[in-house]
Amino acid sequence: MNGASGWLCAVLLLGMVALCLLLPATTRRRRWAGALLGLLSLLLMLVEVLLPLVSWTAQAVFWVLAAVTIGAAVAAISMTKPVYTAVWFGLSLLGTASLLLFDGAQFLSIATVAVYAGAILVTFLFVIMLAQPEGRAVYDRITWRWYSKAAAALVAAILMGILTLALDRFARTEVPWAPALEQLDVLHPAHMARFGGELFSKHLLSIEVAGALLLVALVGAISIMIQSGRSPGAPPERMEP
Amino acid sequence: MNAGHEVALLHNYLLVGGLLFAIGLVGFLVRRNLIVLFLCAEMMLQGISVSLVAWARYVDDWGGQILVLFIIVVAACEAAIAMTLILALARRSNKLDMLAWQDLREANVAAYVDREVPEERAPSATWPTLPPAGVQPPVDEQAQLYRNHV
Amino acid sequence: MDEILNILMILVPALPLAAAVLVAALGPRMLRARSHWPVVAALIGSCLASLVLLWHVWRQPSGYERVATYWTWALVPDAYAGESGTQSVDSRIDVPPGTATPADSARLAGSSPRARDFAVDITLRLDALTGIMLAMVTFVSLLVAIYSIGYMHGDRGYWRFFTYIALFVFSMTMLVSVSNFVLLFVFWEAVGVCSYLLIGFWYEKPAAAAAGMKAFLVNRVGDFGFMLGVFLIWTTYGTLNYHDTPAPVRDTVAASAAPVGGGEAAEIVPGVLGSQRIATGAYVGGGTGLAICLLLLLGACGKSAQFPLHVWLPDAMEGPTPVSALIHAATMVTAGVYMVARCTPLFTASPDGQLVVAAIGTFTALLAALIALTQFDLKRVLAYSTISQLGYMFLGLGTGTLAGISAGMFHLVTHAFFKALLFLGAGSVMHAMGNVIDMRQFGGLRRVMPRTFWTFLIGCLALSGIAPLSGFWSKDAILASVHARVEVLEHELVRRQGAAEPDADPAHGSAGAVELSADQLGRGAWAYRLMYITALITAFLTSVYTFRMLYLTFFGAQRIPAEAGGRAHESPGLMVWPLLILAGCAAVAGMVLDQSYWNGTHPFAALLAGTPSLTGAVASTEALGAFHIDIAAVSLLVAVAGVACASWLYLGDRRTVHRLRAVMDLEGWAPAGGRANLLRLAQRPGVRGWNQWMERMRLGWLMHLLVELVLLLALILSVPLLLCRFMSPYRLSYGKFFLDELYWGLVVQPLRGIAWLCSVLDDFFVDGIVNALGRLPAHLGTILRSTQTGLVQFYALAMILGGLMLLVLVDQQLVSRVGAWLAAIMAGCGAW
Repeated sequence: MNGASGWLCAVLLLGMVALCLLLPATTRRRRWAGALLGLLSLLLMLVEVLLPLVSWTAQAVFWVLAAVTIGAAVAAISMTKPVYTAVWFGLSLLGTASLLLFDGAQFLSIATVAVYAGAILVTFLFVIMLAQPEGRAVYDRITWRWYSKAAAALVAAILMGILTLALDRFARTEVPWAPALEQLDVLHPAHMARFGGELFSKHLLSIEVAGALLLVALVGAISIMIQSGRSPGAPPERMEP
Repeated sequence: MNAGHEVALLHNYLLVGGLLFAIGLVGFLVRRNLIVLFLCAEMMLQGISVSLVAWARYVDDWGGQILVLFIIVVAACEAAIAMTLILALARRSNKLDMLAWQDLREANVAAYVDREVPEERAPSATWPTLPPAGVQPPVDEQAQLYRNHV
Repeated sequence: MDEILNILMILVPALPLAAAVLVAALGPRMLRARSHWPVVAALIGSCLASLVLLWHVWRQPSGYERVATYWTWALVPDAYAGESGTQSVDSRIDVPPGTATPADSARLAGSSPRARDFAVDITLRLDALTGIMLAMVTFVSLLVAIYSIGYMHGDRGYWRFFTYIALFVFSMTMLVSVSNFVLLFVFWEAVGVCSYLLIGFWYEKPAAAAAGMKAFLVNRVGDFGFMLGVFLIWTTYGTLNYHDTPAPVRDTVAASAAPVGGGEAAEIVPGVLGSQRIATGAYVGGGTGLAICLLLLLGACGKSAQFPLHVWLPDAMEGPTPVSALIHAATMVTAGVYMVARCTPLFTASPDGQLVVAAIGTFTALLAALIALTQFDLKRVLAYSTISQLGYMFLGLGTGTLAGISAGMFHLVTHAFFKALLFLGAGSVMHAMGNVIDMRQFGGLRRVMPRTFWTFLIGCLALSGIAPLSGFWSKDAILASVHARVEVLEHELVRRQGAAEPDADPAHGSAGAVELSADQLGRGAWAYRLMYITALITAFLTSVYTFRMLYLTFFGAQRIPAEAGGRAHESPGLMVWPLLILAGCAAVAGMVLDQSYWNGTHPFAALLAGTPSLTGAVASTEALGAFHIDIAAVSLLVAVAGVACASWLYLGDRRTVHRLRAVMDLEGWAPAGGRANLLRLAQRPGVRGWNQWMERMRLGWLMHLLVELVLLLALILSVPLLLCRFMSPYRLSYGKFFLDELYWGLVVQPLRGIAWLCSVLDDFFVDGIVNALGRLPAHLGTILRSTQTGLVQFYALAMILGGLMLLVLVDQQLVSRVGAWLAAIMAGCGAW
């Protein structure tokens, strides 16, 4: 049983410490230590906590994808310059899209890349350019005091611990499910047709509402921009570093 | 064999999704730049998406994937609105710092001020200086083309 | 006839009650200055009804009592469990009177072996004692009410006064009419309340409010003793009714087996003062009997202002004068005397108790007379006089003979007349003098207010005991009864020592209801003799201070104080007529009620002897009837001597009085031992010559030594003399023997200290705890408020933590697993 208490403890602890060390407001030496610890904990997780898949290739692919995603995510939150954060986030998005593809959600993986990496990330980069042209500021180099980082890492560790324990139980007690892969509807070759059929038959109303939501968001964003542009606040002479 | 694989797949995907969510959570709680804050929020949504897709495969229901689609839609809307709001806030406070917006605190709580700020690494580039006799200074192309910071 | 009697019996208290309610409801708005009409009408009705009832009782044979039950107020079944429940059913137990032990009392408590109920019925009784008291109370109340119309005219609280007066008359008439100790206590308290209300009538005056409080609190002390006495009566006798009541029949088996042992006696609960118990003499003596007597006496002392609870009565003079006349002369203060007379069988069972009663009465009489000699406040003199005369009544009751008890009650009736007369006269003087009552500020009023003067004179003569006014007959009766008691006791003592001599003088009656031991006889003999002599001295003092009061007020140079405003005049008719009526009663009542001087009968005593309480063993003792010329002559002589002494001192230029006061105040004694005086002594020719001779003989040093010794002696002596000067007889008398100050130091100040301590504890601990509890949420809020930092990410962290907690709590197995985890970690740490 892979979610054994000892290993889980070790992984969580290591991960916590790693995160605390990696986050900004540390010296370079500490960040290297944090990176090493983080790698170690990631390795431990991959080997001891995750369950083995059906074949070695599948396992290897999954491990690589998972490592890339998680690594990129950790890197994203520990960068001092926001542009780097965005770039690492983009890598994490690619990792996520690959994972989705690996799981058989082809449309969604492409949609993730297109919408998230293509639109949302670019919008973020534009805003950084507009609001913080010098690229880095004081408040990027530091965060809150040490207890905030510890508390946040602890919360994340607890969350992961709960999830792992619950999954252990699930993995042990769940009745094994044994249909053939070909019988899964979500893995049907005509994935897009099935997906579209499901979407526009059972969730038609939601589609319409989503469309309306997009429209409202568009109009709202424009109106907020116009109004805040007209606000009587004096325009700033200079952006603070 | 297949069953073990499905269960293991679900187990692993849920863990990865949870990990993504947790990392995004940590980033959301810790970082002070408003943009980075929202990026971490989007990371949390990614974690959710991974978990949903895993469930959709396991129980053989399209609903998970459709929910992920709607999550994408909502994330887009949210990003648009969030960006305009962030710009408005940045215009008022001249910076993208979360610390600027703590006026909702209670009267007897002191404001949070940064105590120690790690110094910025001094830029390693040296500015060109003119030699005394009008000779064209040596140009370092690599340095001019490839700056080490944005 | 029965119905009419029942109606009259309930009418006597009910009419004043109705008047009180009416005036209270309608007085402030509607009646106002006419508030006296309902009260006077009610009192006229009550007076007539009580006179009819008295006339009815007068016609009945001895031992008549009529008990009418109107309503059951409380009923607790099986409240009294007798000790031996299976003893004989016969109630006619042959227990020698006065020797019953508490074990016998359980048998005496009831005829049936069943437990007793505690039942309190509103029961009114009519017998000779009640009839006399009712007639006296209502008559005097009526006259005082009429007087008050004039006296309280224009007062802001006019209606309130009459409400209280009517309420008081209701309480007093009920007090003397009820047939149950519990109800007696209830109305005992009720008259106390009315007295408090009336003393503090002018409540804006701090002295009046304080006096009301003092009266109530001192009465409370007495009432405490009274309550304990009632409890003791309940546990000893198993019932609190005066009269015999039929016991409720509960189980049918006993009902069918009844009657056992004789007729109607099988199912009756004998009342404490009921005819059955009196006939058999089944009273508990010894320690329990003495305890009951002393506790009841304590209650009587509180109400009737005897030592040591007499301190409230002089202060009670802060109330309006009609109140003093009614309550503190004629009616309320006599409630104690009435109660002791009513409980005669209980007192007869304990001769030591009777001795204590007489002793306290005598002592109080002397004490009050001594204090009254030096007071300058006219009403205070009368107050102390009241205390003194009440002492006389207790002396009479304490002799334990029928003569003594009759004499005490006789004195009560006559005292009511002349003391009310004196008080109303004082009120008349006050009314004319603009509420000035200090005798030093007015004088020679007899030409200004002639009618007041003549009635006051009659009152003074009656109080002093000058024949043929009523006071003479009643005081003489008391003295005669005490003297007779002394003779009987000495006779019995001699007889016992002589052993087996036949009783030589049958006229003296038996020695008493209870068999006295030898030392009781000896003690009683000299005690009663001492009391007799003290009573004579007190009679002398009574005449002195009474006529002092008369001369200071009405004789001498005419002085009108400024407060009178130059309008000093005789009182209006409404105030004078009651004075005249009371003067007539005071003059004539004695001669009418006591006709022993010409035909050897004593109508009052004969009527009183018909009371059931007085038909028991005490009836075999000496009764009033014979006129003892020797005792009468002695008392008259003493009274006239007192009048003569007062006249000598206070008529004329009063130089002697001042010199007497100087002597009694030990003026000049302290300086007499001073150095200067002695040195002046050394200058006299004889002493100087002697000095010079001693010098020549070279023994001058001896003279010096002698002088120093004498000075030292004078110094040592001057200290007690100084003390004496501070506590000179005059000062002791003027300062009321400093009893008030003693109570202040011993009782009031410690209680105030305890109250202060309690208030400090209350402020510090209780308030502290409450305030701390109040401040706790505030502090908690301040602490919790510090979580509102205004930082969004902090709030987000809090939300996540909350969500996690929910997650954890929802998942039970997770909780237990986490718990096992933590336990393992702890164990690991512990092992390590």
